[in-house]
Amino acid sequence: MRIKKDMKLADVIQLNYMLIPVIHRFGIDLGFGDKTVSDVCEENKVDLNFFLQLVNAYHDKDYFPKEELQTIPVKDIVNYLKMTHASYLNEKLSEIEQKIISLQSEDTEDQKYILLIRNFFDGYKSELTEHIMHEENVVFPYVLAVEEIIKTQSFSEKNREIFDAFSIEKYEEGHDDVEEKLMDLKTIMIKYLTPPANSTLYHTIIQDLFKLEEDLNYHSRIEDKVLTPKVILMEKSIKNLL
Amino acid sequence: MARSTIIIAENSCIIRKGLRSILQNLENSEIIQLIDNKDEVCKLVNKNKPDILIVNPNMLPTDCPDLKRKFVNGNKLSLVLLSDKKNLKDKLKADGYINYLDGQNTILDLMQKILSKKNQNSIPDKNSEIISSREKNILKHITLGLTNKEIADQLFISIHTVVTHRKNITQKLGIKSVSGLTVYAILHNIISMDEVK
Repeated sequence: MRIKKDMKLADVIQLNYMLIPVIHRFGIDLGFGDKTVSDVCEENKVDLNFFLQLVNAYHDKDYFPKEELQTIPVKDIVNYLKMTHASYLNEKLSEIEQKIISLQSEDTEDQKYILLIRNFFDGYKSELTEHIMHEENVVFPYVLAVEEIIKTQSFSEKNREIFDAFSIEKYEEGHDDVEEKLMDLKTIMIKYLTPPANSTLYHTIIQDLFKLEEDLNYHSRIEDKVLTPKVILMEKSIKNLL
Repeated sequence: MARSTIIIAENSCIIRKGLRSILQNLENSEIIQLIDNKDEVCKLVNKNKPDILIVNPNMLPTDCPDLKRKFVNGNKLSLVLLSDKKNLKDKLKADGYINYLDGQNTILDLMQKILSKKNQNSIPDKNSEIISSREKNILKHITLGLTNKEIADQLFISIHTVVTHRKNITQKLGIKSVSGLTVYAILHNIISMDEVK
């Protein structure tokens, strides 16, 4: 179902609870009563068009905003993606890590195996962090430079340099690899490990991993379906400028 | 067993999504992409390399002469035509044909047949989920951080053989990353924790 501006935000969340962290990143808190999407956006000074496209892209795998795409400033998308990144790095990953650590402290017998899981998760964490840093330090500055070139219809020396050094195609290529480790971790915990004594916590961790994966998939859909196509279009029009 | 990947290329949204919903009942397969734009068929099929392409013949690019040769043979792709016209199958040398009027069971039977034909070679027996002692040995070398070339040299086999073993190990265990394989190897006493790094 397409999410529209006159729907109640509460109904939207009922439709898909994975949107809770999304609206939170926009600074929207729960407890909005019967207010509609457009009411809440206005109150929180969130761009309605951007909000709608984002939640729809999150919610519906096949949603592809073609015309609307043109109207959203890249800056807004990048800001949003940065907020998501921050929530991964500062909250989600450390939450899971904490749970693994408490699993470790509880059990003496299973320590060895839990240490394996912990090390593996550490490896995953640094890989994801690296990936995020690459986006923040290389991809996003590039995208912002592209937007500025379009806006000013000219190249500053710095933007020219950034533009020549990268292209969004390179970004598309390296996008799948990070998920691999997360999937492996789930597989190992489900198929190959004997659960420790505190199985409730162990189960919670697995469920957290599934949720993290789902959220990451949503996140990369925004990157792949909203940001990337927009940048490809802009790249094309810049090539005409040259 | 690895899941077979399917791409549906059809310009009618109703048919595209309808077919997807029918094929969700199919075991061991996954629809990885729907294509609605004729111009993207070539690119996306080559990029995603599906096992099966279900395509409306109208969507087959005429100016892409390498389609059948390069797609079908090169990618070991099975071609299924989706249309309301009969007699197209032989002309395009397709592996199967779905008519718009076919019922759900007819479609699923056809797809099942194609899938099992494809998988005949890749699953030798039911025990294939367990890795062999040869594969265990390779796994050990992988987890010790050796490259394919180094493993090949040490075991006096070709790199190609190492790659094949690796592929089979990953497929059987469902683990892709080296660090994941390492954890598996430790859990199954193929290597000890001290040996790593």
